Amino acid sequence: MTEVAVIGVGFHPWGKFPDKTFVDLGVVAAMNALKDANMEWKDIPAAVASEYVWGGTDGFNAGPALAGHLGETGIPITNIFNMCASATSVVRSAYHVVASGERDICLAIGLDVSPKGFFGFMGTPNPKDTDYLRWRVIGATNPGYWAMECRKRMEKYGTNAHHLAMAKVACSKHGALNPNALFRKEYTEEEVLASPMVCDPLHLYEICATRDGAAAAILCRADKATKYNGKPIIIGGVGLGSSLYGDPTLRLGLLSAPAGDMAPLLSESHMSAQMAYELAGIGPEDIDFVEVPDNSSWHYLQYLETMGFCGPGEADRFLDEGQTLIGGKLPVCPSGGASSFGEALSAQGLLQICDIVEQLRGQAGPRQVQGAKVGMGQTYGQLGNSASIILKV
Amino acid sequence: METKKKQYAEVEGLFTWPADEPHLIGGLCKGCNTYFFPKFSIFHKPGCPQGPVEEVLLSRRGRLSSYTVQCFPVPPPFVSADPFVPFAIGLVALPEGIEVIGQLTGVSIEDVKTGTDVELVVEKLYGDKDGNEAMTWKFRPV
Repeated sequence: MTEVAVIGVGFHPWGKFPDKTFVDLGVVAAMNALKDANMEWKDIPAAVASEYVWGGTDGFNAGPALAGHLGETGIPITNIFNMCASATSVVRSAYHVVASGERDICLAIGLDVSPKGFFGFMGTPNPKDTDYLRWRVIGATNPGYWAMECRKRMEKYGTNAHHLAMAKVACSKHGALNPNALFRKEYTEEEVLASPMVCDPLHLYEICATRDGAAAAILCRADKATKYNGKPIIIGGVGLGSSLYGDPTLRLGLLSAPAGDMAPLLSESHMSAQMAYELAGIGPEDIDFVEVPDNSSWHYLQYLETMGFCGPGEADRFLDEGQTLIGGKLPVCPSGGASSFGEALSAQGLLQICDIVEQLRGQAGPRQVQGAKVGMGQTYGQLGNSASIILKV
Repeated sequence: METKKKQYAEVEGLFTWPADEPHLIGGLCKGCNTYFFPKFSIFHKPGCPQGPVEEVLLSRRGRLSSYTVQCFPVPPPFVSADPFVPFAIGLVALPEGIEVIGQLTGVSIEDVKTGTDVELVVEKLYGDKDGNEAMTWKFRPV
């Protein structure tokens, strides 16, 4: 397969936009990416978009809906929905369009706008839908699931309230330096622990908010990339993973899980990371910084182990030693993470990629990871889906 | 004379009701020896011929492997108590080799501890507008 580079990135600011549509956000992201690549929409020969699933038939055909505003060129456009892993999955498909030789260039876009009144279950009540059941007959919220995994971790490895708070503190230090971040306050451990308990043991500040946003990247054959951008960023590999039998994680939306340790926790993320490493021909030790999907402090710690950066139970000490800060051995979420932006489900992976590219271009200013050559991003979707991407200069 | 309150399963087919000793209704795949709960929540072992899956009554007793305390009112479709009272949700390890989720009952949120032996009960989930009780499964320390 042909080597593929990222020649342009752009996004619509993250925030709450109750009066905007997914098209409004998507068009801004696409135009910003095009500008970054010194291109126009009419130069794009293919596109892949995330689906917008919260209302409106056009959302299921989000890509062509965007093309309606950008200009109807008749190009091939795929729409993809892989839950919260959608945006990174979109990039994998865009990568295939170029790597296969089908097209020289492909635009990848992820977008999300919360529907009005978005709180919990958004589907139709259905007694055969376990995601409906967990809300209706138990009252199990997303943080509730994560809190139960977190407690298991605390009892197994000694993770405690201090570690959970410090994960937020670490992300906030990075968010404070990122002018793009929504939440710019640098928190102390005391402030995090003083925030209201949501689902014991997770405090409010230890759980990421949800927000709206859209982000895009333009991919190009590496051997033609410098025509558009003097600093093309190479895609080392994009992995995708589904769950392994025996994974003891109680998946968000299910009512049961295998007991025991037959397969790794968060196995879909383990699989997608492994696949990305294999395709890139490297290992976790070669990664200079990583954007993990930090939905909660539990995730922050667990992903470091699941993705192979730390051995079982070692993430807490790694964090305590300051190794996850910019300047440490492996900066984690140097963008500030979902902790500092809020999560826009179907767009988050591409927001990660925008920041990873900025780092690898050496343009991250006070957040610059010195000597950064290889960056990684990962997003994880409800009910068993994950995508990981490795980018390098 | 006061009409007796009706008690009904909020969702049919997940637990035996009415019953003095209720059980969760699960599935067992004889092809790969995997238990499922609910029985339609199917995750086969690779290589399994995908069945046959038969309906089984899961063990009534298990061990609490984790829990959380829900500290904020839960939005619809859950019917939160008003005024809201924090409640505990747990993960219970059953002898069948799976862990199932359920609310905890019969223990204060301050006293919940992992490792506790618990048993399945069916209790009120919420009172409906007719004054009858929608019921669901919960776990109670033995």
